Amino acid sequence: MKGNFTESFMKGIFLICAVTSIIAILLMCIFIFAGGIPFIQEYGFKNFLLGTEWKPSNIPQSFGILPMILGSIYVTLGAVIIGVPIGLLTAIYLAKFSSKRLYRFLKPGINLMAGIPSIVYGFFALVVIVPIIRDVFGGTGMNVITASLLLGIMILPTVISMSEAAIRAVPNSYYEGSIALGATHEKSIFSVVVPAAKSGIISSIILAIGRAIGETMAVILVAGNQARMPVGITKGVRTLTTNIVIEMAYAADAHREALIATAAVLFVFILIINGAFLVVKRRTNLE
Amino acid sequence: MKKLFGLTIITIMIMSIVGCSTDNGVEFNSSRTINVITREDGSGTRGAFTEIVGILEGGENGEINDRTYVEAIVQNSTDAVMTSVTGDEYSIGYISLGSLNENVKAVKIDGVEATAENVQNKSYKISRPFNIAYKGDLNPLAEDFINFILSTEGQDIVVNAGYVQVGTDLTNYERGKELEGTLVIAGSTSVTPVMEELVQAYKEIYPKVTIEIQSTGSSAGMQAAIEGTADIGMASRELKESELAELTAQAIAMDGIAVIVNNNNPVEDLSLEQIKSIYVGEITEWNEVIE
Repeated sequence: MKGNFTESFMKGIFLICAVTSIIAILLMCIFIFAGGIPFIQEYGFKNFLLGTEWKPSNIPQSFGILPMILGSIYVTLGAVIIGVPIGLLTAIYLAKFSSKRLYRFLKPGINLMAGIPSIVYGFFALVVIVPIIRDVFGGTGMNVITASLLLGIMILPTVISMSEAAIRAVPNSYYEGSIALGATHEKSIFSVVVPAAKSGIISSIILAIGRAIGETMAVILVAGNQARMPVGITKGVRTLTTNIVIEMAYAADAHREALIATAAVLFVFILIINGAFLVVKRRTNLE
Repeated sequence: MKKLFGLTIITIMIMSIVGCSTDNGVEFNSSRTINVITREDGSGTRGAFTEIVGILEGGENGEINDRTYVEAIVQNSTDAVMTSVTGDEYSIGYISLGSLNENVKAVKIDGVEATAENVQNKSYKISRPFNIAYKGDLNPLAEDFINFILSTEGQDIVVNAGYVQVGTDLTNYERGKELEGTLVIAGSTSVTPVMEELVQAYKEIYPKVTIEIQSTGSSAGMQAAIEGTADIGMASRELKESELAELTAQAIAMDGIAVIVNNNNPVEDLSLEQIKSIYVGEITEWNEVIE
């Protein structure tokens, strides 16, 4: 009898824990969309998403977030171009080439990278990358390249860990079969094992994109944050996330609502990215 | 704790930047582009700066256009502006006078040095009020605290913190009967440091009083005061009309805004007109302002 009570009591506790996270995400959805959608309707869906001017201090105010949407996309794209090849090759090396002794150093190092607070990455970039970029390209050193480099480094742990796991999950018989047919070690890995781990690798890239697009504190310090249409990779940009954080503290009235609406747009972006992740993952499970 | 950690990192970073820039010792090249640094839209400092310098342009039908140079880097705190200026020889920025330190150089405006005295005698042009605001009638504790801020003792603290006092005929603060209770003050990050000192001094007079300060930003502070989650709100700018409809405002100090450049920059003096031209992007190279 007593055992039974404990059983159902603990069941309740676990249920509450599970429900809490669902409630939290629901509340967040409600807050963001209830705060953002009325403003978007009032200002005009097209004006808001496709407007090229963000000037909250002007009268009349303009709240076009196209510069920030493009800014986020450019910076994320740059991060993927820089981070994914490095990350993927590192993952292949870790899974199939590195010696056990080296692996013991590399793996914890990469795990440590994932644990470093993003503001520390930001300061690192501000002190190390920005002056280098300034010397090479001139100008302020705070631009798309700097932000992409920084984000490219920041997404490495995600790409490496998930890709490595995907590569390790490929049954060893694939590799052995390929070797038996006379292929070399390298050929077997790049032509047989890695293609077989394709969907896991794609998932890792999608998650990395999610991380890059959502990153804020580090990007603020190095992106320049100019709220105008991006004009080239050696000029600054502002992303959706930094737009919110930079102006939230002092925003009032319509300006504040516009920032919440920006958050709603960002939320939709993240939903799309996570949706893509689920689709890729489900396909993997079906195979 | 988080803030302390952040500050420590900033200090280390600034020191390392200073260390690097003294090592290379390259001559200041005045044909380089001016790297303009501004604050974010909605910031009290930016609001006051753009208005006084003339970057805001009024239209016929009450339109206002903020003409800040589109290529200007946007930083969202005084510390970030200072770090950027410290690390970049060719940059220019503006910060609260009270936060000025030896890592950066404040330029003279029309020949007038940026000091508290010059702000008070109005010869230094770029200044703004620090406001507090409250809704409806004050409770006795809040009322007494505001009396304290506006007394000789309170304004002494304001002056010692590097700001400028409001009003000239001040009266001494008189300690009334023992007070107790809790006050919540929320708002501007620029006003917070001086408010912390005021609160500390007040607590020494009335040990039983608890005062909590939330450093959330001017607009958030006004919002909190309107909603009643804070007894007193702090703003580093003039209140907007929508806020004044709900709140009563009171200036507690004046603050100058210092225009800062890197210590290696030879520029000493800029006219208000030159600063305006730099900030709207008409002047883009240093040799246009350095003879």
